[in-house]
Parts: sequence; structure tokens; C-alpha cells
Amino acid sequence: MPGDPAKMLLPEGAPQSAVDELNRHLGLREPLWIQYGLFLRSVARGDFGQSFQYRSPALRVVVERLPATIQLAATAMLLTVLFGVSIGVVAAVRQGTAYDYAGTVLAVLGQSLPNFWLGIMLILLFGVTLRWLPTSGFQGWTYLVLPSVTLAAFPTALVARLTRSSLLEILGQEYIRTGRAKGLAEPVVVLRHALKNATIPLLTVIGLQIGTLLGGAVITESIFAWPGMGKLVVDAIFFRDFPVVQTILILSATIFVVINLLVDVLYTILDPRIRYG
Amino acid sequence: MGTLPLSRRRFLAGSGAALAAAARPGAAAAQGRRGEIIAGLSERMLTLDPANHYSISSTSVLRHVYDPLVDVTNDDRFVPALAETWRPLNNTTWRFTLRRGVSFHDGTPFTADSVVFTLKRVRDNTKLIKSFVYQDIEDVQKDGDHAVTVTTKRPFGSLPAHLTMLGMLPPSAGANDEAFFQKPIGTGPFRFGSWTHGDHIDLVASPKYWKPGIPRVEKLTFRFIPELSTRVSALRAGEIHVIDRVWPDMVQTLKGTAGVKVLDTPALEAQRWHFQLARDPVKDLRVRKAISLAIDRNVIIKDLLLGYARPVVCPVPPGLLGHTNLGQKPYDPEKARQLLKQAGASNLSLDFVLMKDLYPKQLEIAQAVAAMLGEVGVKVNIRNLEIATAREQRTAGNYDLFFSGWAQMPHDPDWYFGQWFTKTGAEKLTRFSDPRVEQLIADGRVPDPKVRQQKYEEIDRLLWEEEPEIWPYYTVAIYAISDKLRNFEARRDYYVLLHEVGIA
Repeated sequence: MPGDPAKMLLPEGAPQSAVDELNRHLGLREPLWIQYGLFLRSVARGDFGQSFQYRSPALRVVVERLPATIQLAATAMLLTVLFGVSIGVVAAVRQGTAYDYAGTVLAVLGQSLPNFWLGIMLILLFGVTLRWLPTSGFQGWTYLVLPSVTLAAFPTALVARLTRSSLLEILGQEYIRTGRAKGLAEPVVVLRHALKNATIPLLTVIGLQIGTLLGGAVITESIFAWPGMGKLVVDAIFFRDFPVVQTILILSATIFVVINLLVDVLYTILDPRIRYG
Repeated sequence: MGTLPLSRRRFLAGSGAALAAAARPGAAAAQGRRGEIIAGLSERMLTLDPANHYSISSTSVLRHVYDPLVDVTNDDRFVPALAETWRPLNNTTWRFTLRRGVSFHDGTPFTADSVVFTLKRVRDNTKLIKSFVYQDIEDVQKDGDHAVTVTTKRPFGSLPAHLTMLGMLPPSAGANDEAFFQKPIGTGPFRFGSWTHGDHIDLVASPKYWKPGIPRVEKLTFRFIPELSTRVSALRAGEIHVIDRVWPDMVQTLKGTAGVKVLDTPALEAQRWHFQLARDPVKDLRVRKAISLAIDRNVIIKDLLLGYARPVVCPVPPGLLGHTNLGQKPYDPEKARQLLKQAGASNLSLDFVLMKDLYPKQLEIAQAVAAMLGEVGVKVNIRNLEIATAREQRTAGNYDLFFSGWAQMPHDPDWYFGQWFTKTGAEKLTRFSDPRVEQLIADGRVPDPKVRQQKYEEIDRLLWEEEPEIWPYYTVAIYAISDKLRNFEARRDYYVLLHEVGIA
């Protein structure tokens, strides 16, 4: 990776002696393999090192941002599942009607509008013009609305389209016709028998989206001045704050693995035919 | 309705309150103190340690918690803060007389011990970001409780200027650094309240600040909003009262918003695009002169920056020690072509390196410059690189021209000259080396401002002639504020200082 952490910390044009001295303090003048060995040893002890930028333990710097990150990701996920699945179900059941087309248009918009544009427009409308909601910051639940809607736009559209297509496929199957033939109410057919089977591919996508939402809300976080991990990691990369980057990478890798595991476990619950091992 | 008859009881109550207020001067001031100001800053704060950053946002915030020895006004005068007077005893000794009756937020008195501690800490703890500036300090001695003598290894004329950026700490901070900066105390007009990392910091008025009537509000909050459009929205929505670092193209929107005022002032910052002076072809003075002549600075100022910039007449901006008017650099493409021909330079191709997203409009400006240089037959490759990469390319010398600016912190040009125009300073940057300039810089380090002015004017002239850099414009600092703010000053150094600001 190009770039020198000490140079990024010191003001532009600090003398080379100061750069060398600071790099020595940061432990960056050792050979690379020694640095790596030291890093592994301390991580094994739960010590992720000191953040170069913040001058405090990297783990603390990252963990401080976790509540904001999790709140935003969880709310966005909730919106995604709620609206994505509903829109998808309506569109599938009312295939070819105005509802279906409206759903498709919404989905296309959600997937094609850039996050920063949508965010800025929402701020201008609800924050500046109508003044219903705060423009930015992190101080209470009202602050959560605009960023989570912005963040949820893309995955909601994705989930809506996926729900529609996989539900349509299922609705065309024999056992659905059988269900209807034996006189089951339409909601029971759709929600209990069809949707449950359509959920398997959906779950995979949602699982992946959770990971993305946790780690990749960079643009949304920047626009709404949200103190989450996405912006933190980008700044850390730009400023070559290696301990913070490493800590976030380890943390998000762990989260990814755990979520994938949960998704796999959920498969077996939803579809008992799926077995592992 | 006529005037109400004044009842005896009400009259007594009123005069009683007036008497009480007169008896306790502090109480009157406290009564005048009301409301809360919320500021939106462009840069997130990283630390509460005044010696451990060179961030402008952090300097702004921490100036409210800690006082320095010396303050600097917006017209670049150095005025007393915790030091009442200071003077050089000789070229390598400064003596500071300290203000009496000042105490830290926990009640401990501010004395010479605090100064000795703060200065020795920043010199000796080389982990601190500001440490390198204070390496020239030989010793710090107290002389009684209210005077301090600082001796230096070589003349250190810019010491009072540097001290404007160094908040004074109580000696007790030394016992446990980390614990102290969790909940720090200073002598400043506000006490530290709380800090939500990456979001905001709350400060509350200190009831017994040494400057009467200050601060004028009960509470001060700094929110960190790096995205300009969000900062602007928050101000327009009335959520915050002041924002910094407004770009010229946002000014119209802001001016059209009811309740918002836009303020601007020439900043202490000159844009300076430096040449790689050891590299062909720009090591040839004729080529550098030709490039300078081919750039129409007025187009950049008027069309791209919408008039929010000033033509450069000296490497050091006006108002500052070391400034002198040398006249604007001419625009003369015809002469540029001639010079290039004389230099035997044809089919020139230059690498113009930019640090991505650092300066307002930089890419548009670089593109305009590329077009202007194209007119005289010089091809420009714009390389818009991520900041750390760009700097590494500069260290390696892989550039011809480097887009950069220099804010003259701390209101003194010694840093700029010493860093960019001495052999050791410029070695891994511009490769500048000129023994005459080097000598003048050394001579200019003495405390006597008259000597310094004269030496710096000589340096200015030499640089103006040698053109080791292109100075395209002085930056203008733009702020926007709520019209409820009283007494706000748009600072040339980009600080957002609010201790003397009130709110309606």
C-alpha cells in the first residue's frame, strides 16, 4: 500500500526527522515480517493496537461506532424486508395490473437512483423545505428516518423484484393449483404455501445484504454525517490508519461469517428437506 | 395604555436586584449569558489533546476549552491571552509574564508551573504531533509563579506565534495522560461536556472565566458534518447556526435563504503549485517562467471561483509579517511561446499531480490550466491521485507540478519558508536549494520583527524571480451563519471562534 502514515498525520511539509521519529513510535520502522508477527501476537491477546489518527485503542475507536452502524443497518434491513416483500407479493399476485407496474417502476427507481442523490433530495425535501425531520446527525430516532430510507432503497428494490419473480414461479406450480382446488383461501395459498417456498433464494440475498449494509454504508453515512463504521473505515484507509482498518476488517469478516452461518441454519428450518453433513 | 403606576413593592424589588447585581459583577455577566450556539464544522475532531494535532477544526474547538499564552486577532496582531506580556531578552531567550487570578475549571490556579509543564511535555514527548515544532527549545524556567523564561537552541522568533496554537494544561495532566484527556480541563471560556465521536462535542460555559462578560452563551455544540451539501442543508433548516468551508458555488443558494447570511474574508492561504525542481524540463527557469506566463489567473479567479479568490502579489499573503506587494504576475502567452522556443523545449509534456478532493474546484482549475498550457504547446497530464499516494509520488519526485495550498499557520511565514525553501526541508518535496534563501531564512528567525520583515521581503523577491512555484491565487474563506448570531467574525485562519459570539 503506498503512502506513509506519519506523513498523513503530520502537517504537510513537516521535516523528515519528525516523520521518521513518528514512524518509529508507530512501530513502522521494523521489517514487515516482524510487524506482522507482532500484530498476530497482539491480536491473539485481543489487542488491536493504537489507532494512529485517534491516538487511542483501535478496538475502542471501532466499537464506539458500532451502535450507530447497527441501528442504521437494522432499521434499513427492517424497511427492506417489510416493503420489499410486500411490494413483491402484491406485484406477483396482481401480475399484469397497475399495482404490478407501479411496483416495477418503484423497484427500477430504487435500484437506479444513486444513493447520494436520493439522500440529498430527501434532506432538501423533508429537512430543509418541510422541516419535518432533522437533516443529519445522530441524536434520536427521528435522525434515523432519512438515512435508513436512503440506505434501504436499493436492497428494497432488489428484494421486491426477487420476491415477485420467485413467487410467480412457485404460484405456477402444481401443488398451488392443488391447494386452490381443495378450496384453500387465497391468502393462505399465497402467504403460507407459496411465500414460504419462495423465501429460500430471498434469504440468501437478504443475508448478503445485511453484510453489505453493515460494512458499506459509506455514502449514506457521509451525506447524513452519521458516525458509523463505513465512513470510519474509508477515512482510516485514506489516512493509512492501519490498526483501525485491520480491526474493522476482522470485525466485518466475523460478522459476515456469522450471518452466513445463521442463513444456512435458517434454510433447514424453512425447508426441512435441506440437511447438512 | 399609559404608563403603569409603579408600586412601591415592585420598585423596591427592582432596585434591590440592581443593587445585588452591582455588588457582584460576575452575576450581571452571568445574567447576560443565554442560549446555545451549534456550529457545523467540516472536519471531524480526532483528539482533545491540544498538542497532538494540527487540525483546524480541532484547533477551533479546543480553543474554547484551553487558553493559549498568546492570542492572534483577525488582523494578525498577537495579543495577550494567558501571558500578559512577552519580550525577547536576546535572540535565543523569550520571557513571558503571566496573567494572575486565572484558574483551571477544577479551581486549581494557573501558574508558571502549567507553562513549564505544557512546553516541556510537547518538546519531550516526541509522539505528539506538535512536538517537532518545539524541538528548538533548550529550557523552560519559571521565575516566581507568574513569569517564565524560554531559552532556545537557535533564534526562535516565531515562538509567540506558535504558542497561539498550544493550549495550556494543568501539571496534573502529566500523571495519567489518557485519563486526563477523557475529561480534560483547561482555563478556557467553556468546560468540556461530552464528546460523541464522529458526531458532536458539547461544551458548557465556564462560570468564572477571567475575561468579564465572556462567554455570551450557556452552551456550545460543535457538530462534525464533513459533507458540504449536508452542512448547508442543516444551516438552511435552522438546525445549526454557523458553517465553515463554504464553496463559491454554494453562495447563491445560501444568500437566497431567509435567515442566513454569508460572510467572506481573504484567507491566510495562498495556493501554490510547486515544481519538481530537479526534473527536466521544469528545472529550467525559462520553462517555469513560460508556464507562469501562459496561465491566465484572472479566468480562474473570475470564472471558476466566481470571484472568491484574490490575485497573488507576493508568496506571503497580505496582512502577514513578510508580505510586500510585488505586483501581479502577467499573462502573456506570446512571450511564453518565445521563452519555450529559447529553451529549446518542444513537445513538452508535464505531470500535474492533484491530491484528490482536497481543494475546492481543483479538478476544474487543473483542466483549465491544461487548456491554457495547451495553447502554448505544452501538454498536461492531470494525475488526480488519492492524497497519500500523491504525497508518495512527490517524495519519489515523480511529478512536474503539484497542486497544493499553504495556510500560513501560525500567522507567521517561518514555517512555510523553513519547510519549502531550505535544502533539508525541501529535499523530499520540491528539491529546492538556494544558499542565499537559506541564509535569509536563518537570519529571519530572530525575534525582531523589523529584521524579519526585511529578510522576508528579500526572500519574496528572490522567489518571485526564480518561480519555484506558481502562485495562482489567494484563497477566500467563506462562512455562512444564522442571522441570529451576534458579533461573529469570519476568520482568515479558518478558525470558528465563538466565545465572544452571542445569539438572539
